[in-house]
Amino acid sequence: MQPAISVKNLRKRFGDNEVLRGIDMAAQDGEVITLIGASGSGKSTLLRSIPFLEIPDSGSITVGDDHLAPTGGHLSRREEVVARRMRGHLGFVFQGFNLWPHRTVLENVIEAPIHVQKRPRAECIEEAVALLDKVGLSEKRDAWPAHLSGGQQQRVAIARALAQRPRAILFDEPTSALDPELVGEVLKVIRALAEDGRTMVIVTHEMGFAREVSSRTIFLNQGIIEEEGTPDQVFGNPVSDRCRAFVSGHFDRNR
Amino acid sequence: MSMDFFLTTMRQLLAGLPLTLNLGILSLFGGGCLALLLNLMRVTRTGNAVASGYVFLFRGSPLLIQIFMIYYGLATFGFVRHSFLWPFFREPYWCGLLALILNDAAYTSEILRGGLRAVPKGAVEAARVSGMTWPTVLRRVILPIAFRQALPAYSSEVISMLKATALVSTITLMEVTGLARALVSETWRAVEIFLCAAAIYLALSLIVTQATAWLERRLSPWQFEGNR
Repeated sequence: MQPAISVKNLRKRFGDNEVLRGIDMAAQDGEVITLIGASGSGKSTLLRSIPFLEIPDSGSITVGDDHLAPTGGHLSRREEVVARRMRGHLGFVFQGFNLWPHRTVLENVIEAPIHVQKRPRAECIEEAVALLDKVGLSEKRDAWPAHLSGGQQQRVAIARALAQRPRAILFDEPTSALDPELVGEVLKVIRALAEDGRTMVIVTHEMGFAREVSSRTIFLNQGIIEEEGTPDQVFGNPVSDRCRAFVSGHFDRNR
Repeated sequence: MSMDFFLTTMRQLLAGLPLTLNLGILSLFGGGCLALLLNLMRVTRTGNAVASGYVFLFRGSPLLIQIFMIYYGLATFGFVRHSFLWPFFREPYWCGLLALILNDAAYTSEILRGGLRAVPKGAVEAARVSGMTWPTVLRRVILPIAFRQALPAYSSEVISMLKATALVSTITLMEVTGLARALVSETWRAVEIFLCAAAIYLALSLIVTQATAWLERRLSPWQFEGNR
């Protein structure tokens, strides 16, 4: 079985700064991969490259049956069509939620199913209501994003990602913009998705959560994968000095 | 002013209201379409320069002179007089309307540009990552948000355009102000007649103000309702 997501020899630079220096990574169906590393290590750029929110300079990305290897940091018109199809198979959850402010909670969730996937409206609403129920927000279906707490907005964003029926969901620091007391409700939802066997790639600074939820953890340092393995390996017995320093620094701080 | 004179004057001036509204609404419509086009042009460097030049020209010069340039100026060119467009440029109505459209487009494109700049980047990214095509992103996310942001400033532009139609009275068009000027030269009762004309414009602007307030509440209820 081919992996849900596969990334090969990915490179990306912003000006003089080489952010990704040859990344190879694959996510099998049902895997939960956490990406950890210091800020500037390239983990967010790597995650954003998968749906081509950042366009890599070289290397290739495969999502399901679709494959793209863009060169020169931009997409041609034909590549853009493939990229759109790949995006349709992925859900993406942003650090800043990025809900559409002019649409209600329910409208946010049904937007892509109706206007991208062209599925029947009634079916989309039914599914959206079930998803909102799953993230614990069914009573907020007609509320506006501006009236929700950060934690609630992020849970709506997760429901919106799920509504696309994605093969995998990508999380870009989903709790970093939240007040500390709201982090738990979002992590709880993501944990439940892991238990359902959802394929996920998660960039996070929540080390305890990463250790507990992931099937595999990747430590990025200066644009390369410095350490990779089961969470017990990476957090408990890292090979690389930098990874050990990073991990112990984080757990010390949290203590 | 006797009640009788007031009513007669009002009745005579209101005969020009259809033309005032006609010019106002059509110039706002035409100007709006042109403004959208000017903003879409701004994605390329040359397009941006052309749009900026256009705005500079039509926002920076008096509307009255623009009207004169189109009505008197174009007729001095032989090729205009001999072209298929001459039946239009011969008519004060089309010249006035064209000047109003061109002028309105300059202001509206700046208002729309402000609205577009206020669209959160994250909302656009979320739309793109959901697999939308650019036209869908534009139609479903960018323009609806930009329009809501631009609405308060745009309502001023609507009122401003309704009043600006008064200037076409200088090229013989008999809208409200044109009729008022004609009445004044007949009766020499300038103050009363112009006050009546002003009252008509005030009533129009009151309607526009109320309508946009209603539209704002309807389109952006989250800014008005409390938390539910």
